[in-house]
Amino acid sequence: MNLLQNSELSKLLLTFFVFVCGTLSSQVPRPRGVSLSRAALYPPNKDFTCFDGSATIPFSKVNDDYCDCYDASDEPGTSACPHGIFYCTNAGHKPMNIPSNRVNDGICDCCDGTDEYGSGKECFNNCAEMGKSAREAAQLRAEVVKAGKQVRAEMSQKGVHAKHEKQNKLQELQRNKEEAEKLKQEKENLKHEAEKLENAALEYYRKLEEEAKKKKVEEEAAKNRAEALETFKKFDSNQDGLVSVQELQTRPSFDKDRNGEVSDEEAKWFLNGQEEVDFEAFINNCWTSIKPYMLMDSGLYTPPSADETVSEVDDMQEGQAEEEHEANEDEEEEETDDGEDNEEQEATPGAHEEYSVTYDDETQKLVDQANNARTAFQDAEAQVKDIESEMQRIQEYLEKDFGPEEEFAPLQGQCFEFSDHEYIYKLCPFDRTSQQPKSSSSETRLGTWGHWSGSESNKYRVQTYDKGQICWNGPPRTTIVKIDCGSENKVISVSEPNRCEYVFEFVTPAACHEQLEGSDVRDELHDEL
Amino acid sequence: MALLRFIPVLYVASCTLAVVKENFKSCEQSSFCRRLRGFKPEISHYELDLSDIQLTDNAVETKLTNFEDNSHFKISLSAVHGDIFRIQVDELMGLYPRYRPQYALNGEPQAAKLSVVDKSKDHITLQYSDNKATLHAKPFKVEFFKGDSLVAVLNSRGLFHFEHYRTKPSENENNEVEQQKKEDPGAWEENFKSHHDSKPKGPSGVAVDITFPGAMRAYGLPEHADKLPLRSTNGGEPYRLYNLDVFEYEIDSTMAIYGAVPVIYAHSPKHTVGFFWHNAAETWVDITNSKDGNVMSSLVNLVSGTQEHSVSAHFMSESGVMDMFVLMGPKPRDVVKQYASLTGVAPLPQYFTLAYHQCRWNYNDQDDVTNVVAHFDINNMPVDIMWLDIEYTDGKKYFTWDPVKFSNPEQMVNNLTSTGRKLVVIIDPHIKREAGYFLHEDSLANDYYVKNKDGSVYEGWCWPGSSSYLDFYNPKVVDYYKGLYAFDKFKGTSDDVYIWNDMNEPSVFNGPEITMPKDCIHHGGWEHRDVHNEYALTHTVGTFKGLTERSPTRRPFILTRGHFAGSQRFAAVWTGDNAADWSHLAISYAMCASEALGGISFCGADIGGFFGNPDVELLQRWYQAAVWLPFMRAHAHIDTRRREPYLFSEDVKNRIRIALRLRYAHLPLWYTLFFEHEITGEPVIRPLFYEFPEDSEWYDIEDFKIYNGGSHNIPVSLDKILAFYRGGSIIARKDRPRRASSLMHNDPFTLYVALDNKQTASGTLFVDDHASFEYRSKKYLYLHFKYADNTLTSNLIDKTDYPTKEWVERVVIFKPPPGVKGAKLTSKTLGSVDLETSYTSENKALVIRKPGVNIREPFSIKLY
Repeated sequence: MNLLQNSELSKLLLTFFVFVCGTLSSQVPRPRGVSLSRAALYPPNKDFTCFDGSATIPFSKVNDDYCDCYDASDEPGTSACPHGIFYCTNAGHKPMNIPSNRVNDGICDCCDGTDEYGSGKECFNNCAEMGKSAREAAQLRAEVVKAGKQVRAEMSQKGVHAKHEKQNKLQELQRNKEEAEKLKQEKENLKHEAEKLENAALEYYRKLEEEAKKKKVEEEAAKNRAEALETFKKFDSNQDGLVSVQELQTRPSFDKDRNGEVSDEEAKWFLNGQEEVDFEAFINNCWTSIKPYMLMDSGLYTPPSADETVSEVDDMQEGQAEEEHEANEDEEEEETDDGEDNEEQEATPGAHEEYSVTYDDETQKLVDQANNARTAFQDAEAQVKDIESEMQRIQEYLEKDFGPEEEFAPLQGQCFEFSDHEYIYKLCPFDRTSQQPKSSSSETRLGTWGHWSGSESNKYRVQTYDKGQICWNGPPRTTIVKIDCGSENKVISVSEPNRCEYVFEFVTPAACHEQLEGSDVRDELHDEL
Repeated sequence: MALLRFIPVLYVASCTLAVVKENFKSCEQSSFCRRLRGFKPEISHYELDLSDIQLTDNAVETKLTNFEDNSHFKISLSAVHGDIFRIQVDELMGLYPRYRPQYALNGEPQAAKLSVVDKSKDHITLQYSDNKATLHAKPFKVEFFKGDSLVAVLNSRGLFHFEHYRTKPSENENNEVEQQKKEDPGAWEENFKSHHDSKPKGPSGVAVDITFPGAMRAYGLPEHADKLPLRSTNGGEPYRLYNLDVFEYEIDSTMAIYGAVPVIYAHSPKHTVGFFWHNAAETWVDITNSKDGNVMSSLVNLVSGTQEHSVSAHFMSESGVMDMFVLMGPKPRDVVKQYASLTGVAPLPQYFTLAYHQCRWNYNDQDDVTNVVAHFDINNMPVDIMWLDIEYTDGKKYFTWDPVKFSNPEQMVNNLTSTGRKLVVIIDPHIKREAGYFLHEDSLANDYYVKNKDGSVYEGWCWPGSSSYLDFYNPKVVDYYKGLYAFDKFKGTSDDVYIWNDMNEPSVFNGPEITMPKDCIHHGGWEHRDVHNEYALTHTVGTFKGLTERSPTRRPFILTRGHFAGSQRFAAVWTGDNAADWSHLAISYAMCASEALGGISFCGADIGGFFGNPDVELLQRWYQAAVWLPFMRAHAHIDTRRREPYLFSEDVKNRIRIALRLRYAHLPLWYTLFFEHEITGEPVIRPLFYEFPEDSEWYDIEDFKIYNGGSHNIPVSLDKILAFYRGGSIIARKDRPRRASSLMHNDPFTLYVALDNKQTASGTLFVDDHASFEYRSKKYLYLHFKYADNTLTSNLIDKTDYPTKEWVERVVIFKPPPGVKGAKLTSKTLGSVDLETSYTSENKALVIRKPGVNIREPFSIKLY
């Protein structure tokens, strides 16, 4: 066989050789259901001892359709033993071991039909055809693998290159970061200096400001009291110095539920639960409730729109929306952090728009200088942050396992779609999987990149994406991506074998390895020869 | 953190698997139950007129009067073949006709000869064989005697009550009436939750009590998720019989669930007596057992004054005639056969139906179905039948296929049959109201639906959304419906596709108690109230006709959830939507044993539990236990994780494989038992009291109390399935494991002989073609095996024949005689043949090697 292991010839000869062997092998006397390699274990001129030694029987009881050995070794060619193995030669195709309980059960399991010799079932020998199409399929597969391997090498190269680039970039950023931090420190010192001067200069103006503020508050209180008094007098139609429930009931503004009348309760609500109030009680306890209604009447005040309230309620009721919210909270927290930073920046002193005061030239100059120093510091600080976040992105990239030769790296940043009759599924390798109904644009996350999860020897054949959106009344969605060699990157099927557990089948040249292909065929043939 | 906060909420939600009791009525919330249960006169209001009786060879008929309100009834007592008395009471000149169930009885019961043995002005005694019945005029009661022993008394507690139809009193009258006797507020109309029952005919309840002097236990009244012996219901809820789709039903409860079989058996070591209440309306039954307290002392005195034990039952139904059968026993075997003689037996099912069924809501598509079977094969685990739940349809339209997921059902079925497998698909009685759906359009055009009280078509909510319900009481509907199963109508089906009838209580998601309003109208003008418990039965009758006409040479297989007395003639049942919980595994045995006594032997429970995810221990134990119930199917809710047995670790797979193979090895036994059930009416599974009626120690086996005789410790492990062959039995098994039962037909038998203390044993075996009706033309073998005097013999019981390839490959004798050297087989064609024998370790069993005789041939094997 060694001679035949290469070149075009091997294919031709292999077919021929197997055929010849098939013929030859059937001429070697051995019990039915025994492979040629094991024939020697059944010497016909001796008593047969079970392989496990459990019994010794005359050779005539081998394959006599009665199970004498616990290990089933006496009945390889019948269904008498529950755990037996029947061997089909399947000349022209792959030999096969089947459980001996499939012998003579009326189903053709071996392509040579040898398993149905006594059931009356007529089986046709279609090993030649099956062998041919299996070899064709293997050939086709080999071509895909061969082509895929080339692409894989390119992908690997890209991946390695990208990794180096990222590593270099990271080093560069590290250097930049150090410089930027130095700059930030300088700017911070300058800012402190400028602010010290500014503070001292502003001391005088702060007092002025407070006084102005106080004055404004007093003015407003007086105005408010005047308004309240005017309203009180208007309401007090019998001029007895008290506003009563009956008096309020004549005023349609207080028809809170808009049913056409001002009820006792409605009126009382405005009077803070009292039957009647004098002016002091009115301004202290009732005016804040009444004022908005008066303003509403005159069109100066609009309550929060009903639409907004309703949509909030909807969100709450829609479980999924809430779940989504929960599941994405991590991301949102990051955003919230950014938000806080912004607030801090706005809260810096110097912004005195409300009670604008005019400074003298000297003070104004110091304020301007301080403002400039703050801006310069903020710029320097942002610079550091930018560098840091870029470094973090690169670090995350470098921490991802793109395969032993970085061959899966070019898939990062791409997305691959698969449509069935209802949904469009999306696989974005190393990022996420998702599902979107064809009839709507809302995307459901089926999983977030987790880890490689193939078996020990085939780690890079399966990916797990977990922590997807939580299912109604169930667990968070997860996705298993099964990866196989293919000539192009493509999702070839999506299924949901368990509720909320998805399986994607994805082919990519990155998974094309020769060593994983079809070696088993040749092994078994060896056994036969 | 976000996830952590969320999960506990879910956990709580999924842990509160429990019925919402408020969705279902208590007796107090049901006007007729409240009225009839509250009816407790000092002395019966009813009186017989014995001055004017009509007597025929088989019956006596006379007048019964309620002297309180002067209403009149006709009453008859007749003898029915097989030691049964029948008592019927109906209104004399009633305002409306009263309903009699149309499908429960297997034809009109065969009359037997009745003779008068004693007659005076206050009583008359009639005799039929060694059974006697004495009708007492005032107070009205009927006593039943076996020989000279009083075994049952009807109306001994005076609870007999018959609400005759009457016109609704006008307002003024009402006031007067109210002064005399306060009418129940729900008598003329009644509300439950948001549902209104208009009750156009007013109150129409019927009730009777029957007492069984001497009885220690009562059994029957399936379907309830309760222990096998009936409990006393004093102070609790009566057993309720009202077919309902109860979501997450609870166990140890007298609540109604999917089926209703109103038969009860009262048992003592001396006598077993049965009582069949032939009524299809909502029914409640109170049970009083003297051993459960001293409530019965007065009753005991009433009956005879000396009885130590007594059981009494109080049957209360909302409408219908009173039609009662008293099954005179005297043993459990006799009463159950007597009941079977009335309502029929399950015809012999096809062999494969006894094998393992694999179901799930839902297998996603046709490839999924094919792959599941492929995985069973890869793992060398047997399976015979794949099931499809509602998702196979095109939008829940029955008799259609989802055009995408099940685009090629023929191919899918061919994939299954290519390895000897079959398919079962679901067909429910609710029809989607969708324009263009042929079934809906035909039903609208031809008036096939159940109606509202105003005559318009009733609409309810079920799986498809808005739905209407076929009215199988209309013969035209049955004619039409059965035709839907024709292969040219239900495309993609074949002889190898069978049917699952679910949701036929009927289940109506937005109806009162999740079912149809009682004032809906069926063909013939009957209210749904009159026929409710029979509706599922009418559904399966239609399906049965459809399958019989579709495949005239194959025995139909139908699984139904809703059921009634007589359902056994058409369908198997299962215990509905159980839960993945140990308590549900335990109760499955009691539930199916109760069904079996109620005539419905073909019963099983969803392996693993329908709701929830079983842990692997529970799942393994469930498979091991399910080997011994007649119907063996795994099923699971759509929200559960996949649990096909090949999905687990090697050790788990191995245990389940062993359990499945054990089931397949015993298929000849199951099949023989089903054949015997058809010819004798005996249940396929039997509680201990049935087999050992004189042995009162068995009655309380549910309590796990130890009685005299001590205890026997048996070491158990997860690998062990505790099951025993009774000493004295011979079991024929097929021990060669195959992928499917259909592939085992020609395989040889191993005969397991378990000797009793007298060194004897016997057994039977039924053999035929496993599928057709040919066995009804004597094309079968029915064998009797006997072991005595160290000789095993096989003989034909019936003069029949069936040529077969099946042969005897091995005989295993437990507790064998010592010192056996060999055996000699003698048969006609083989002559005399010497056989090798060998003892297993510790001489526990003797194995006779390869007798080789065809099972068709009588033979003997003598040990020497």
